Amino acid sequence: MTATLLQGNQACVRGAIDAGCRFFAGYPITPSSEIMEGMATMLPRVGGVFIQMEDEMASLAAVMGASLAGRKGMTATSGPGFSLMQEHIGYGAFAEIPCVIVDVMRGGPSTGLPTSPSQGDVMQARWGTHGDHPIIVLAPASVAEVYELTVRAFNLSERYRTPVILLYDEVIGHVRERAELPSLESLGVVERPQPNCPTEAYRPYGDGAQRVAPLADFGSGYRYHVTGLAHDERGYPTQDPRVIARLHERLHAKLQDGRAEIVSYEGEELDDAEVVIVAYGVSARAARRAVSEARRQGLRAGLFRPRTLWPFPDAEVNVLARSARALVVAEMNMGQIVYEVERCARGQAPVFGCLRADGQPLTPDEILARLVEVRAGEAEVSR
Amino acid sequence: MNTAARADYRRYLRLDMMPHILCPGCGHGIVLQAMLRAIWRLGLPQDQVAVVGGIGCSSRMVGYVDFCTLHTTHGRALPFATGLKLARPELTVLAIVGDGDGLAIGGNHLIHAARRNIDVTCLLLNNAIYGMTGGQVAPTTPTEMVSATTPGGALEPSFDSCKLLEAAGASFVARGLSSAPIDLEALIVQGIQHQGFSFLEVLSDCPTYYGRYNRLGEGPEMLQAQRRHVDWVAAPLADKAFVPGFADTAAVADVALQYGVLHRETRPELSEQVHRLIAASVGEGPT
Amino acid sequence: MEQGSILLVGVGGQGVVLASAIVADIALRCGFDVKQSEVHGMSQRGGVVTSHLRFGGQVHSPLIERGQVDVLVAFEWNEALRWLPQLRPGAPMIVNLQRQVPPGACRDRKSWRSGYPAVALDALARQVGDLRVCDALAIAGQAGSPKAANSALLGVLAPLLPFPESVWLDALRSHVPPATVTINERAFAAGRSLPFPEETRRHAGATRFSANGFHGRDESAPPRLEVIAVWCKGCDICVRACPTHVLALNAADKVAVVRPDACTGCRLCELLCPDFAIVVHDAEERAADLTAANHSGSEARG
Repeated sequence: MTATLLQGNQACVRGAIDAGCRFFAGYPITPSSEIMEGMATMLPRVGGVFIQMEDEMASLAAVMGASLAGRKGMTATSGPGFSLMQEHIGYGAFAEIPCVIVDVMRGGPSTGLPTSPSQGDVMQARWGTHGDHPIIVLAPASVAEVYELTVRAFNLSERYRTPVILLYDEVIGHVRERAELPSLESLGVVERPQPNCPTEAYRPYGDGAQRVAPLADFGSGYRYHVTGLAHDERGYPTQDPRVIARLHERLHAKLQDGRAEIVSYEGEELDDAEVVIVAYGVSARAARRAVSEARRQGLRAGLFRPRTLWPFPDAEVNVLARSARALVVAEMNMGQIVYEVERCARGQAPVFGCLRADGQPLTPDEILARLVEVRAGEAEVSR
Repeated sequence: MNTAARADYRRYLRLDMMPHILCPGCGHGIVLQAMLRAIWRLGLPQDQVAVVGGIGCSSRMVGYVDFCTLHTTHGRALPFATGLKLARPELTVLAIVGDGDGLAIGGNHLIHAARRNIDVTCLLLNNAIYGMTGGQVAPTTPTEMVSATTPGGALEPSFDSCKLLEAAGASFVARGLSSAPIDLEALIVQGIQHQGFSFLEVLSDCPTYYGRYNRLGEGPEMLQAQRRHVDWVAAPLADKAFVPGFADTAAVADVALQYGVLHRETRPELSEQVHRLIAASVGEGPT
Repeated sequence: MEQGSILLVGVGGQGVVLASAIVADIALRCGFDVKQSEVHGMSQRGGVVTSHLRFGGQVHSPLIERGQVDVLVAFEWNEALRWLPQLRPGAPMIVNLQRQVPPGACRDRKSWRSGYPAVALDALARQVGDLRVCDALAIAGQAGSPKAANSALLGVLAPLLPFPESVWLDALRSHVPPATVTINERAFAAGRSLPFPEETRRHAGATRFSANGFHGRDESAPPRLEVIAVWCKGCDICVRACPTHVLALNAADKVAVVRPDACTGCRLCELLCPDFAIVVHDAEERAADLTAANHSGSEARG
């Protein structure tokens, strides 16, 4: 582990290259453009392909095309582009094409606040595309963690054959800080398994023991069909309700089965916490300071920080709801994850929001004030 | 290159998927067969052919051919194809798109693929209407023609996709007819052989909607009308009411709907350039 | 001969029907019951014409069963071969050596070969016990008009039937146009006087191709149409595209091969079928298959 001064978006580039990303397609958008510029420089040096596409839909499409040809691929964008990508995120989830999508969140909706941070895309990341689909969303809170979770994003994407979204805000993307990057050996690099069965026996959408069939590279000798239509094991379109039900169940089950590997979080001062802050990304950094300040003032606060936003660590939050008097969700939006926490709490503890959507990061003082308010019983639920 | 008269194209069909879902008399199947004959004639290794489709009747056909096939989203076949070709340049990549698919929702992708001159062969099947969704007006529906969304006749003019693509930079532009399948096969052969973006507009027929709404008859009548109305390059048209892309019969009395190879030039191809850059860059600078 | 079944065959324009009518009239004049039935509806000029003629004490069926023809009179070489199976084994057969290539045999545009069979008298003689071959066109020409060839053939037929010569001549005179009576009488007489089997032997060994440049069809490679009915959607494109009307839609709206012999192998049906439901196989395909075998050998995988 070596310490370097690194920008969040640069750490993403480094993580992608180290994880084996060899294809990037993107479209310029603030505040993610440094990723694209970095990839344009770095990829050719490692034999990778870079292309700037005509829009974000095309970018994710090109990434998935390249992925089917055997190259680990990534695109990066921000809110408006992320909205445009939604159809293809659904396509990737349904057709089970590994790829990584970085969304550096800025203020929205619409063009919003291009240069200011936000955490307004967390629900869109989960539910943005139509239809039911599982998805993996990772939320780093530091430059070093951007590196780490970028590598993890590729690894999970390859292992579970699914798009993985790396979701962080403008502050994390643009901050330059001293970063101690974990060694690649400690993270590991997952390579996509290739089928070794006879070509005629290959079932690209079969239900293996691990719920994920190996994905053959186009051009490797296995010929098969990929479609966004509901499909059978061979990838052929079907309208058979039993086959379609089995497909949906398998797609959800593969992430459910892998939950222990996928879901990652951190806790601080939780053992005796009477009020637990749930925060992710840049908000968790302010929350950490608020916790220590609260403790100094005699308020037993703790921090629960999901590093995996989706699938949400619901069981863990439920445990906290049973032990704490109240939960406070600090996030830079008008209330998104707070509802998920409320769902997980199942009425065991009241859930309060500490919300802000004006383009300014939450401050430790704001969060501390909210903690004090909550303990005094003056806060409105969820607000 | 296979020179025998008879092309063994049935080897490329996914027999367990046949028959295909297209309507009786739909010209698309004729185009698909011509494409398969072209692939056979070129002797392309089956594993090294990728066929990408968007959404619509035409794109649906990619599911019936035994290559690496990718049925994507509406309008986006070409970006997928671009990623595929850049990632694995040794693949022969074909894209089958429809007129609405390629020119409306995917119009931006189409012109940019042409501009990039990426080595993809794009067949745009023009039946002058949205078939899969029930016969709505397309960017290729001639003015005054009836569709589900232009019950009183279309007001807007239509695209001449070949002119559009030539202007956008496609280095090979051709127009073929489903009613001239042997010529069409030869055009597709040339399109695949061409290094760079090859665009072929293929006039096809939708008897179910376009033919019915406009009283143009069934498959045979529409096919015969194609032959009557369209001739080789520079032949003038007497009556273009039927021909997609040529609406105003008065205005185009001296304009020919041309078919055959309309434009060809040699220009640097993108995937080759990208990989040349990579070859020159590998190992350079800090990684 | 108390009864007889005579089949007269030829092509449109040869006077088959007239000849048949004359024989029928003769039989009637001789007190027989007569039935005469013709099939010439679509013949026009050059098409197939057949006439069934039956006489006897009482005749019920207007048509002759296969293999029950007592005398077969073929006005044309190709028709002789076509109707040969109708002849009773051992029964006499009269063959005019005239060759008239019907339009249906001219349409192999690919090879420009006709489907007309080569003349091979020796082969025919092995199948027919009493073969009476003549060149009626030449006889009629010598008599004054090639149009009188049918009368010459009646002359050849006359000795085989139980009718007096005076009745033959009376009937002939009453049926042919008055201006041609003498010519037809001469032709009839010339045909009647032909010595058999010497005349047949005179033509024996004749193995010629038809005069208009056509030669025998390559029977080893007839085009064969394969229809995959389950893929056919009945769009009618192939039916309308076929230049020789080989195809039709059946009651189930599937394409059916109704005139397989008319297929020229042009492949329009196959090329224009949107549903991959028709394949035209022929000799060239076999060559192509060999190429394809080489082709697949060059692939990395099958």
